[in-house]
Amino acid sequence: MALAVGAFLLPAHPLAAASLAAGQILSALNFFFLEKLVKLFTEAAVSKSPAEATLLRARLLLFAPIKIAVIYGGAFALTRWQSLELWPLVAGLSLPLAALFFKAAMLAVSSGPENLLRRAPSTAGSSGNLAKPAAFILLAAFLVLAASPARSEEPHAAPVAGADSSIAAVAHTAEGGAAHGEEGEGHGAEGGAQHLPNWITILNDFFPQNSVIHWMHENEYLVFAWLAAVVFLAITWFGMRKPTMVPGHIQNAIEWMVESMEDVCGGMLGKHLHKYFPYIIAVFFYVLSMNLIGIIPGFKSSTSTLDVTLALALITFLYVQFTGLRNLGLFGYIDHLAGSPRDVVGFIMLPVMIPVHILGELAKPVSLSCRLFGNIFGEDTLIVVFVGATALCLKASLVALAVPPMLGISALFMLLQALTSIVQALIFALLATVYLYMMLPHEEHAHGNEEHAHGSSH
Amino acid sequence: MNFAATLGLGLPIGIGLAAIGSGIGIGFLGQGAMSAMGRQPEVLPKLQVAMIIGFGFAEALTIYAFVTMFFLQGRIQ
Repeated sequence: MALAVGAFLLPAHPLAAASLAAGQILSALNFFFLEKLVKLFTEAAVSKSPAEATLLRARLLLFAPIKIAVIYGGAFALTRWQSLELWPLVAGLSLPLAALFFKAAMLAVSSGPENLLRRAPSTAGSSGNLAKPAAFILLAAFLVLAASPARSEEPHAAPVAGADSSIAAVAHTAEGGAAHGEEGEGHGAEGGAQHLPNWITILNDFFPQNSVIHWMHENEYLVFAWLAAVVFLAITWFGMRKPTMVPGHIQNAIEWMVESMEDVCGGMLGKHLHKYFPYIIAVFFYVLSMNLIGIIPGFKSSTSTLDVTLALALITFLYVQFTGLRNLGLFGYIDHLAGSPRDVVGFIMLPVMIPVHILGELAKPVSLSCRLFGNIFGEDTLIVVFVGATALCLKASLVALAVPPMLGISALFMLLQALTSIVQALIFALLATVYLYMMLPHEEHAHGNEEHAHGSSH
Repeated sequence: MNFAATLGLGLPIGIGLAAIGSGIGIGFLGQGAMSAMGRQPEVLPKLQVAMIIGFGFAEALTIYAFVTMFFLQGRIQ
């Protein structure tokens, strides 16, 4: 199919065809490597003989850097190469994903008419309880999605720090930057997002010509997203490397968090928990670490930009729809969207029900992303206001009068920030669980209740 | 009454109205949770978790108004 589309485009737009092919090859390579990595990892974990285990682990350690270098280096190089066009590249990247999706749908359809009409039990094997392959897959998919907004959107209104120290910059942006003329007029008086400086902006102050640092400054949120992922993966990796019966500190903490989530999600999902739990716990830990990193002075939460939360919400939405299609079958999925008509009234309401349910499904990623983004961004802005007020007091030499209360209030609001970060990460993961639960075949009580449940969960 | 003046008047009022709704919702949630905890103190941890999650949901509606305010606030010049 790729060659057909490529041949179609080739005479008119050779660059578009080349970038489409390049994106597809890269994405197919990505899936190949991912599958190999996951197989090696699970085999290494469950193999019986230690010699075989070490051999498999050695192959895993060999493959992982190759995969990372090839895929991410390739993606970076391809998106940087000016002669390739962006949209065919992204389309090519997502084409194998769409092909997998359609293949799954076709399998569901072609497994016979009797499988379509009853709620088919899920036939795919589970990927085991390991959260780390799920975390890798999540990270890879998220990076593909997040790299494309980084290419096609302007940097999100972060004020370019002036040439002076960061406190002066914060004071200027807090004042609206109009009063002191000797600092640059380029930043300053825009309303809109104001962020505290982080180590990337400080580096950008000291080395403004360096192109690597400039790229990092343009895509701050991406760098902090990677940093958060590396931090949480490192903590869970080193904590759970040699699990013992009497756990050490990190293992105890991780086990407590994972088991509490298992209790809460298991109460909803029941016996299907082990199939979906890797994704849920991976999303929970990822959002939690991204939120919590923003509290540390000098770092920034990636979730305080709508791009990142939208990417996560879209991945969750696609996963939920895919689960629904796989578990209910194509016909059962449409039946679910139509509100499961069982009597004449149900069938009469059909043309009303389907748009309502589709809108409800579409509202889910919007509400997920806006909730997380608004909470974290709001907390950030609150801290910016108070720290800015502190800087103002320092600049106006009212030090002894106003700094202790201002700093005290900032510290208090940072405590609130910590609480909100944890609660919002929990809510994101729980909502993902609830949406997955809604997609599974559950018993149909009186249908008015289900509509009320759908309507009030937004 | 130009665009900027209208926005400057309307946005904070919008957020205030949204906060009223959230406040009422959180108040109801807290009332139910407190009376349940008073009747049966042994389910307190479970109720606390459910209450905090409920607060997050009720807060989200004000956050939507907040996000809208931030997107429109840049146009007040």
